[in-house]
Amino acid sequence: MPKFLCLQRSLSTSSSDKPSPAQMQAMYAKFNEWREKFQGNLVDLGGRLGRAKVALPEPAPDGPLIEVKELVGGYMIVSAATLEEAIAIARECPGLVRPGSGVEVIEIQAPG
Amino acid sequence: MSDLGAHFFRREYGRLVATLTRRFGLRHLEAVEDAVQEALLAAVDTWPTSAVPDHPSAWLYRAAYNHFIDGQRKRRRREAIDSLRAAERSEGASSEAQDDVGSDLLRLLFVCCDKSIPMESQLVFALKTLCGFDVREIAARLFMTEANVYKRLGRARRSLRELPIQDADPSVRELATRLPAVQSVLYLLFTEGHLSLHAEPALRRELCDEARRLTELLAMHPAGATPETFALLALMYLHTARMATRQDASGGLVLLEEQDRSRWDASLIEIGVSWLGRSASGDRFSRYHAEAGIAAEHCLAPSFAETRWDRIVECYALLDRTAPSPLHTLNRALAVAEWRGPEAGLATLEGLAPPSWLAGSFMWAAVLADLHRRAGDRVRSEEHRSAALAAAPNSVIRRTLERRLTS
Repeated sequence: MPKFLCLQRSLSTSSSDKPSPAQMQAMYAKFNEWREKFQGNLVDLGGRLGRAKVALPEPAPDGPLIEVKELVGGYMIVSAATLEEAIAIARECPGLVRPGSGVEVIEIQAPG
Repeated sequence: MSDLGAHFFRREYGRLVATLTRRFGLRHLEAVEDAVQEALLAAVDTWPTSAVPDHPSAWLYRAAYNHFIDGQRKRRRREAIDSLRAAERSEGASSEAQDDVGSDLLRLLFVCCDKSIPMESQLVFALKTLCGFDVREIAARLFMTEANVYKRLGRARRSLRELPIQDADPSVRELATRLPAVQSVLYLLFTEGHLSLHAEPALRRELCDEARRLTELLAMHPAGATPETFALLALMYLHTARMATRQDASGGLVLLEEQDRSRWDASLIEIGVSWLGRSASGDRFSRYHAEAGIAAEHCLAPSFAETRWDRIVECYALLDRTAPSPLHTLNRALAVAEWRGPEAGLATLEGLAPPSWLAGSFMWAAVLADLHRRAGDRVRSEEHRSAALAAAPNSVIRRTLERRLTS
C-alpha cells in the first residue's frame, strides 16, 4: 500500500488560546481513539520537529531550512490506498489538525 | 495505553502549581503556572505517540520543573538562577511523593484565604490554581464574564505577591486561625454548584465534586481535621446524594416531595452520615452541623410524609442561632408548617420584618403564597402568588412556582 508523509503546518502566526487542562484531557482522549481506529494505517506516528541544521558537502552557514520548525510542527507517515484516504485519516487526527494548523499530505513514491 | 483518571490533567495542574510554588515561592506564581501548562502540553504531544511513562506524575513534575528553570534562565543571569536554586526549599525526591500532594494543595488553599483577599477572588483563585479550570471555564461555571474572572484573579494574585514572607508560609497556629475562612470558601464553592439553577447539571456537579475533594483533603489533614470540617463534608455528601433528582430531564426543578427517593445515592448518604457522626464532638455547634443535620433528616426519611419535621425545625432554630438570617427563619416556617400545620408556619413568620432583598424576592412571596393557600386564605395567597411569579429570576423557577402555587 502506498505511503504518505503528513506534515503539520501552521496556517497563521497568531497564537491561539492555550488549551485548558480539561481541553488537553479531551485532546489526549481523542488522539488515542483516532490511533485505535486507524491502527492499520499508521506506519510511523512521527513526532514534533526540533532543532535543524542544513548539512552540505562543505561547511556552510546555517541555511534557510533552519526555520523549518516554524512552518512544520510535526510529521507522521501513514499508509493508505489513495491520497484521498490518507487525507481523510490525517484530517481526523486531533493532534495534526488543530485550530490554526493544517496538514500537507505527500505521497512517498517507492522506487520501481 | 494506560488509563489516566477522568480529571488527570486538571488534578495534575493543581498539584504541580501547589508543589512548585511551595518550592520557589508565590512570587513566581505566574511563571510556575506557565511552566505547568507547558509540561502538560508536552505530555499531550508525546505520550500518545511514545507511551505513557511509568510514573506520569513524576514525569510531569520534572518537565514542569525544567520549564520553570528554563523560563527563569531566559529572564535572568546565570548566578541569579543559582541563587534561586539555593533558595529553593529542597526536599529532594520526597516532594514528588504522593502523600505530599494533599499538604501542598492545602497550603496554597490556606494561603489564598488571606483576609486581604475578597472571598469571590479567593474562590476564583482556587478554581484556577487548585482545580485547574481556565478563565473561560470558570466564567461559564460562575456565570461571570471572562473580564470579571480576570479581574478577580488579578486581585488575588496581586495580594499574594505583596504578602509578607511569613504570611505566604503560614505556621501551624496561623493555619488554625484561617480554618474558618478556608471552610467558607469551600462551602461557597459547593453552593455555587449545588444551588445554581442555570448551569448544565454536569458543570454544577463538577463544582460540587471539586469542593468535596478539597474538603476531604482538609478533613484528612491535621490542620483541618476538626468537627466543623467533618460537618461540612457530611453536608456536601448528603446534598450530592440527592442532586440527580433535583432537576427533571428538561431542566425543570423537582420539589422535594416529588423527588424519586429510590434514585438518591445510598452510598453517598452512608458516607455523609458517617462524617456527620464524626462531627458530633467538641463543644462548638457550627452552621455546618445544623445544615448537615437537616440534610441528613431528609436523606434518611423514607418518604416526605414520614420526615421527622420536629428535628428539622430544631436544626433550623439552631442554624438561625449560629448564623442568624431571615432566610433560615423562612425555611423553619416551612418545616413548622409540615409539622404543625400552615397556621403554625405562618405564626413563625409573624413579627419578622424581612430585609428588602428578601421581601422583594420570589422566595419570600412564594412561601407566603404557599402557606396562605394551605391555610385556606385564597385572597392573600393569590396576592403573594402574583408577586412571586413577577419576581421569579428565570423561567425554570417561574414554571415551578406556577405548578406549586396553583391549587
